[in-house]
Amino acid sequence: MTAMPRFLLVFVGLLALAFGLELTPWAQAFLVTPWTDGVARVSGALMRMFDASITTTGNVIATTRSAFAVAIEAGCNGVEATLVLAAAMLAFPATWRHRLAGIVVGAAAVQLLNVVRVVSLFYLGQWNQQVFEWAHLYVWQALIMLDVLIVWVIWVRIAGRHESLPDDAQPA
Amino acid sequence: MARSEPMTTQTADAPAPRAPTVAGFTLRVLAWLPIAFAVWYFAAPVLLSPVVLLLRGVAWLGFADLVRGIEQSAAIATFVTALRPGDIAPRGVLTVDINLLLYAFGMPLFAALTFAAHEADWKRHLALGYVVLLPCAAWGGLADFLKNVAITAGPAVAAQTGFSAWQREAIAFAFQFGSLILPAVAPAVLWVALHGRFVAALRHRERK
Repeated sequence: MTAMPRFLLVFVGLLALAFGLELTPWAQAFLVTPWTDGVARVSGALMRMFDASITTTGNVIATTRSAFAVAIEAGCNGVEATLVLAAAMLAFPATWRHRLAGIVVGAAAVQLLNVVRVVSLFYLGQWNQQVFEWAHLYVWQALIMLDVLIVWVIWVRIAGRHESLPDDAQPA
Repeated sequence: MARSEPMTTQTADAPAPRAPTVAGFTLRVLAWLPIAFAVWYFAAPVLLSPVVLLLRGVAWLGFADLVRGIEQSAAIATFVTALRPGDIAPRGVLTVDINLLLYAFGMPLFAALTFAAHEADWKRHLALGYVVLLPCAAWGGLADFLKNVAITAGPAVAAQTGFSAWQREAIAFAFQFGSLILPAVAPAVLWVALHGRFVAALRHRERK
């Protein structure tokens, strides 16, 4: 089997496995829900640096200035995007050291942009509901996946620079 | 360059094409995204009509007892069911509106990525991407409809569907996969699969 089909097959298999595990009640209770609450807390803390009206409760970010609030749900916590990135790095031929470093740094990059998404959506929602819907449902979804793709490409370059990958390791 | 020559052939005096950079590529994608989103949104009634055809085919094949018809209005697919809404309207039938844009936003992403890479085969890639992303959008739309009637609509409607417990679990998984993973991942994976040389060129530049 050539490099590209093998890469895609392993990637899809790993992603399906990771996504299936993510949906189990155990993972939801002990990993996803605490993580989502953490995203809300970090986003809220960041916003409080310039907006003292921000409050957070669980996965909900609110403002004392109005009745507006957002709840961070599945798809907005960056978990799925991180799983996609991790599966793509694990499926690509590289050393385990590079994979581990890539997943840690890449996950941080994805989560950083996700916090930017949450903060921007919180203020967009107070400004214009239609713009919020567009940004929330379509634009930011695409931007987060673009982030995953760019991080993966950069990682592939770095992993390839530090070691001699076989020619067929390139997904060409 | 003559049409019959391979695309990689260069004359002795012609400058070699510049290898792409990740930064340049990212900026080009970001520049193309608003254009692609605008075209996608305004052309959605046409772009998504094959998705509705696919949904009709699948509903006819697999859910003929549940679905009487599927109508399209702009980007909304309305499933007209054979289900009763319950005590609220005992003579009525249940209809479910599904916003297909939710499951098709990968189309503008794929188009922006393809335009940014600007390979010789970009038209073929664009057409291929569109065709491959159609069933992905149909998956999301169908899973959303099934989730609505089997889970969200409540026990009075769910009981009429005849789905067992494990079938409802499968529907929930299909919906989560079709809404959280497939619409975003499919265009990215497809783009990598079709642009292996471009991705390799990005690597090559860094390794010089």
